[in-house]
This record gives sequence, C-alpha cells and structure tokens, in this order.
Amino acid sequence: MSKSFGDVWIFGDYRDYFQNRITLQLIAKGKDLAEMLNTGTTVVLLGEQVHQYAMEYVAHGANTVMVAEHPKLKEYEVETYTTLLSQWVKSYRPEIFIAGATSFGREFFPRLAKRLRTGLSADCVDLEVDPKSLLLVQTTPAFGGELLAEVVTPDRRPQMATVHPGVFRELPHNSEAVGRIIYPDVDVFPEPRVKVIRSRPPIKGKVSLEDASVVIAGGMGLRSKEQFELLYELAELLEGEVGATRPAILSGWADEERLLGQTGKSVKAKLVISIGTSGALQFTTGIQGAETVIAINRDPDAPVFRIVDLGLVADAAAVLPILIETLRRRL
Amino acid sequence: MIKYRESKISAHHNYLVNDMLTPGFVVGEPDKQGGFYFLADKVLAGESMPRISCRLLEEGSGNLLVELNWNRIQSNPKACIHQSIPGGFQILLSSGNVLLEVQTQAFANGYLTRIKARLYDEKGFLRIEPLGDSIKVHDAEKPVLDSPFSFSP
Amino acid sequence: MNIVVFIKQVPDVPNIRIDEQRMTIIREGVESIINPLDCVALQAALELREREGGRITVLSMGPPQSEEALREALAAGADKAILLTDSAFAGADTLATSHVLARAVSKLRPFPDLLLCGMQTIDSDTGHVGPQIAEELDLPQVCGVNEIHVDGDLLVLKRLSEGFLDTIRAPLPALLTVSKELCPVSDLSLGAVEAAFTQKDIIRWAAHDLGLHPDEVGLAGSATHVRKLRQPAARTGGRIVTGSPQSIVDALIRKLESMSILDEED
Repeated sequence: MSKSFGDVWIFGDYRDYFQNRITLQLIAKGKDLAEMLNTGTTVVLLGEQVHQYAMEYVAHGANTVMVAEHPKLKEYEVETYTTLLSQWVKSYRPEIFIAGATSFGREFFPRLAKRLRTGLSADCVDLEVDPKSLLLVQTTPAFGGELLAEVVTPDRRPQMATVHPGVFRELPHNSEAVGRIIYPDVDVFPEPRVKVIRSRPPIKGKVSLEDASVVIAGGMGLRSKEQFELLYELAELLEGEVGATRPAILSGWADEERLLGQTGKSVKAKLVISIGTSGALQFTTGIQGAETVIAINRDPDAPVFRIVDLGLVADAAAVLPILIETLRRRL
Repeated sequence: MIKYRESKISAHHNYLVNDMLTPGFVVGEPDKQGGFYFLADKVLAGESMPRISCRLLEEGSGNLLVELNWNRIQSNPKACIHQSIPGGFQILLSSGNVLLEVQTQAFANGYLTRIKARLYDEKGFLRIEPLGDSIKVHDAEKPVLDSPFSFSP
Repeated sequence: MNIVVFIKQVPDVPNIRIDEQRMTIIREGVESIINPLDCVALQAALELREREGGRITVLSMGPPQSEEALREALAAGADKAILLTDSAFAGADTLATSHVLARAVSKLRPFPDLLLCGMQTIDSDTGHVGPQIAEELDLPQVCGVNEIHVDGDLLVLKRLSEGFLDTIRAPLPALLTVSKELCPVSDLSLGAVEAAFTQKDIIRWAAHDLGLHPDEVGLAGSATHVRKLRQPAARTGGRIVTGSPQSIVDALIRKLESMSILDEED
C-alpha cells in the first residue's frame, strides 16, 4: 500500500522559517523533478511540535510529510539526525534527497551522504532530471563561481544535493490541499556527543533583502563609501533595499547583512539595479532570482552585462546624481 | 521496513488524534438512533472553528448525556453546561466535571484542534481516552475523513 | 594536545583564467596557495599548541607539487607533514577524498585529539570533506567554528549558524571546521622557511601504504561524476545602451515606466 520508494525527498529545514523559505522552494522544484520521474514529493520533518510546518509543506505542494516528533529532536543535531534519516533512507529508498544549503544543511548532509556511501553536490544553483538517463543533473558553482559544473551520481542512491537558497521559487499557499502524513516508529536516541548549550537567535535588522521588490546592489565600481551611500537615497525613492557585493562589504561600505550572492542572500525581487558590480558568479547567483536586472557599469565587457535585461554603459558617479535628481522630481 | 502510522493531513486544519494530525475522524455510528458517536468533521478553508458533533453517553447506564451539533448543544437531558474557553469550549457535567474539551491553536496559516475526553459507548466500552495533550481513539475502524461527513438523509 | 590540520593546495581563484574552448581552468601561470581557511585552521592549531602543548601534523591529499603547501605549513611551525599522493587518487569527489584522509588519520599514533580544517575551499567550495572524515572516523563534528576553548577533554565552541550564535560543548577527540572569524590570518609567518626545506622531511603515503584498493579511491571510488563544465548562461534579450549620462538616465527611467515602477509622465 504505502509506497514511498523512489520518491523525491526534501529535508524540512524550518529554523527561522518565516525568514528562510528554502524548504518551500525545494518542494516546488521537487515536484518538477518528481513529475519527470513519475513519483511523489516527500518532506522529512524532525523536531518537537512541528505540526504547523507539516501543514505548511502540504499547503505548498508536498504529497507526503514524514514526521518524527520527539523532545530529543528539538535541537538540530548532526549525529542524531544522521542516524535517524539514514535508517529512513535505507527503509524507504528515495531516488533523490535534497536539502537547503543552510548552515545546518551544509553540516549535516555531508555526514548523511557519507553514511549512505552516496554522492553529494554542494550549493546547487540548478537541478534537472535528464530526460534520457533520468539522472539528476546537479549544477554547482566551481572555482569561485567562474564555472558551473554539472554533476551526476550515476549508480548510488539517493542522489543528494544541497541547494542555494533563493534560486527556486516557492508555490503559493493552498489551504485546500490534502496530503499524506507518515509517522515512522522512532527508536530511542543515544545521548548526542555534541550539545548546543545556548543558541542566541539572530538580532533582526531592518534589512529584508529577500522580500524586497526592488533591490539596489552596489559593488567596487562605486569607488568610495560616499558614492555607495547614494544607493540608500536611490533605494528610498524606489522603495527598495540596498545590497552589496562581497568586496564592497570587505571595504566597509555596508554591513554583512546586506551581502548578496553565494555566501549571502538571494533576492526574488521584481527589479534589481546593479551598480558598479563586475558580475562574478558568487554575486550574480544572489540576483538571478529577480524578474528584471538592470546594470550600470563603465566597462562594456563587464560580465554582469551577460545577465541583464538592460545594460547601461556609464560611470555610476556621473549617472547616480542625475538619476536621483530626476526621480525626486518625478515622485 | 520501519513500522509506521499514517494519516491524511489537511493544509488548513487538523485534529490531533493518536499523536497524529488528521483532517477529520468519526467514531461510532452517527446515523444510529440513540447510539454513541463522535464526529470531528473536516473544516473547510476559510473557517477557523472545528466542527464537533457527538452523542455522549453516561458511563455504565448508557443514558444520553448531551448531544452536540457543530459545537452547539442540540439535546441536553442531563443539564450539561457549554462553557467558552480561550480558543474553544468545554462541556461540563452538571456536577461541574469536564466531559469534553475542544481547543484550537491558530498558526500563521492554519489551525490545530486538540480534544480532551474519556467517552464510552452504549455497551460501556471505552471508545475515546486521553493521550498526551489530546486523545486516543480505540477503534480499529477509525476512518480518516478528508472531506466533510455526510449524514444519511 | 595532538592536532591534525588538513590542508589543500588550491589555485589562487581570483586570478584564474578559463580556457573557453575546453572549459577548463588554465593552471599555467596561476599561483597555488594553501586554501585560505586551512591557513586559519593551521594558525588556530599553532595557538592551541602554544597553550596546550602537543604536536601538529599537517595532512594533504594531492599531486606531488602539493608538497609546497606542506613545506609552507612546516615553515609556519607544524611538526610533521604527510602528503597523500598517488595517481590513483586523482579525480576524487568528497566521498573518496574523505576516505583517503580518514584512513591516513587512523594510521597516526597516537590518535590525534583534535582535527581541524577550513569550513570550505575556494576551488570546489563544498565543505563536505571535514564532516565526511568525522563520519568515517566516528568522531563528533562542529562546522564553522569561530571560537575554541579547551577545558580538559572538553571543547567549548562558538559558531554562527543561520544568524544564530550557538555555544556548543563537544568531547575530544573531535573534528572542527573553522570559519575566517576564528583568527585573523593575513599570511602565515614563515619564520623557519629554510629549516622547513632542509631539515624536516615530508612523509609520502600512497594508496598501498594506506591499505587502500585503487577501486575505493580517486575517480573509481567516487559517487559523483562531473558530466560537464560550462560557463554561466547569459540571460537573453538584454539590451546594452551607451551614451551620455543624461541619455543613460532616460533609458533607465523609460524601463522603470514600462515596468510600472514609475508612473509615466503626463
């Protein structure tokens, strides 16, 4: 009756859920992959009092949620989670198992993959099922993002990958959805060797790049902190947020919470205006989820122009004051 | 294969039964005149209240205590009391003891209802009893309702 | 406290160039460096040895020229360097790499108390090898550590995880991967360079020294295969505009209008 063999599995990562929607993004992608494989999408959910997440996952498209509810699963613990999920995998044999490349995903999935003696690719920016071989093609940045590698796991199962947050778009919430919930019997757990004694939640800044509909992104082409600060004026006029490349942050022009890209945040904005950024992939992975990208750069050969809808070849220092003045007049 | 339990789950509202989420369930036979039943019906999107209908009987005698229809008292031969509590209601016996408690927790995008009760059928069999912060249903026949229950005309 | 530091020699990524025909990295003329976060791990090991005593062993798997990275580590103060090199190791994914490194650690006597590496490398950037070594050796692991305190045979650690500041207790022996916040490293001080090149030997272990069959290492022992390398796809339909600053602003304003971000002027 209850076949879950061959499903696409998604790790239910709910810490800081209302900020971090990675699991919902993975469900949406998981459904595409599952359709190609003619199978279902299952989210595995471990924790204490996780009912609401189970419901959210169904509302966002999961066919099945597999739940372990236990006080000892309250904290994210690599070894406990590895032991439990490796048993589940051996028992239910998913074809694909993906997790968000969150701090925990990146710490826990390698250990799980090793225990299962299977392959794992890191921080993928795309996943597709090859229609011929039906293998999962895992696209992952290499050499600092200069190249993309297409990785496959030909023989071992499940095919595992962690996925960069923000590269896939979640499905809308559907209250009418009905799914299946499975509670596998859970054994007693050994005392974990690594214990989180204290976990201080993040101090929430006002910056919410992930949810902004307009993002102004600045890079080294702005040449000074003073120039960079013009971006805040521009952002205010367009009711947007300011993001920055890693070099701009290292130069002290903006705080870490504004970091865009592979090691920072990914946006799903309607519009990104990228100013003085050269367009290294570490950065552009953070803005590729935007509907429209406009870039201003004085170098016509800047790689950033390869990914834009509109490329403006100009010196930001000359353009910014005129642009701000024009907008101020118009609004 | 690891042993497991399984249920349907609604994206909108569930009841917690046997430590599982379920969109709805029924114990006993609602259509059988005078007999025990407990129906926790499927709650439709847009509604935030659970839908509890039941015929509750006295332990031992099997006499009717109270009958609820969609959370409201319909028939009340033993003068039970309907009392509102935060997020739900209680049905008290005239002695003041709690016969049934129904409480709904609201999440950001959904609802979860917990029930507390110890209920017997007309033959004196225990059909529903407390488990953790909700109930356990003894029936092997416990069907999962993923669409609203329809009574016979 | 005996510490093992895993280091990897990597191309200096900001300076790499790509052979666009063959879709490979042009290694000629690109300097090889120790992966920067592995330098942080080594620096942390040096500081721990200062406080706790013990010896530092650096381990690297790679082609013969990785010896340079190990020499540098010796120059910085490591006590012993082991190079795991064998043509059979080539093409390894993280599963196969961690297998070789874990096997090498299990040969060390005494077994180390602490294993350190960078939380990721700049070339492949997976961050998998540390946790996978820990798994193979059945050691506890903590990733992205930015503070290490040793209290007897216990570690008290701090790390940032999705913005949460975690304080963590772990027993020794353990494997930690370190973040750049752990200690500032500009350049390792290579005080003893000369000595490192003349007095200290680098131990070399090949597959058979580790009791490894060629099937369980390198490409053969890997679960993943790179099917293709490619350059990030260009977005299509992009329009490039040049001109005076005013005409640039006009083009931008028209775009904002067409997207209804800005109302059209009457």
